[in-house]
Amino acid sequence: MNAVHTAGEALAALRDAKAGATDFRTNFFPSEAKLQGWIDHSELFSDVHEGATFFLRKDRDFWHLYFCAASPDALQSQAAKLSILMAEPVVTDVVGNQPALEELLARLESVGLRRYARLQRMARAQLREPSPSPATGDSPVVCADKADCSAILALIESAFDRCAEQLPQLYEIESAVDHRQVLVAKRDQAVAGLLFFETQGLASSIRFWAVARQFHSLGIGSLLMRHYFGTQSAVRRFTLWVNTVNENAITKYGHYGYAPDGLVDHVLANHIIPT
Amino acid sequence: MKSVVEILKEIRPEFDFAPVDDFIAQGMLDSFDMVTLVSALDKNYGISILGTDIVPENFQNLQTIEALVNKQKAKV
Repeated sequence: MNAVHTAGEALAALRDAKAGATDFRTNFFPSEAKLQGWIDHSELFSDVHEGATFFLRKDRDFWHLYFCAASPDALQSQAAKLSILMAEPVVTDVVGNQPALEELLARLESVGLRRYARLQRMARAQLREPSPSPATGDSPVVCADKADCSAILALIESAFDRCAEQLPQLYEIESAVDHRQVLVAKRDQAVAGLLFFETQGLASSIRFWAVARQFHSLGIGSLLMRHYFGTQSAVRRFTLWVNTVNENAITKYGHYGYAPDGLVDHVLANHIIPT
Repeated sequence: MKSVVEILKEIRPEFDFAPVDDFIAQGMLDSFDMVTLVSALDKNYGISILGTDIVPENFQNLQTIEALVNKQKAKV
């Protein structure tokens, strides 16, 4: 396993895996910025095999496994040779429509990974210009600032599953705050709730929406969501991923017009990660 | 046979694709949409787009998608 030092190295490894591929399979779709962030923070490693390249990303106390394989056979045979799967906590995930994923899931299960969690994508289309956003001058919802970053991270880590839901590192939160993509609601100077989103052009995705337990049932989540929609007037497509066990959140997202769009994300974990 | 823009409109009815130069930069197509689009293009045009061609550069705008379709049609 070798540290990846440049984005070019990672992309070259990806190209090599694609060359001559008969039925190329991958779960490695990082944006350029995300890839650079992982490299800058020495989180990304590669393991090149015949017919398959694996990337491993260190996250807290476990590894994310990404694969780029010439075929499902190559994925299965080369993943079986990964010693890290026997020695350290590892998760991986595959995204697609459920029927199309079954074959890949079976291949990954055959090398000792087991189904750990399932996320579903929900989408909300905005076909027309939204009505003008309400005045926000005296709203308790504001864009987070640098001083909030540690509290934001603590709230996210307390509310979501670190192995299943791709929690951000502190540096990612700081970058999102710089780009005004984290909204917070405060009570007595404390971060009571947050909405962390990514907007690119005409599309916006909610990454995390959470209210601290002691502030539940005060309408804070609703304030955050309405403020978010009010500030995204150019956006035509809203998406998010939600853990399918989080029925409460799914119901709430449905209330705001989100509906499952058929994409699912299966997270698999090895035997070292407890269920 | 449907045109590329008609297929795109079926996948993402909320967007007006015709005047846009970069669907990826505008957030109009993500990597999962590309896979859905490839399946629709294969079915509509009777072609088989290779996994190695499923890269953002080929899905940037109507011209690049049409060029990809034409390349595959020439192989059929």
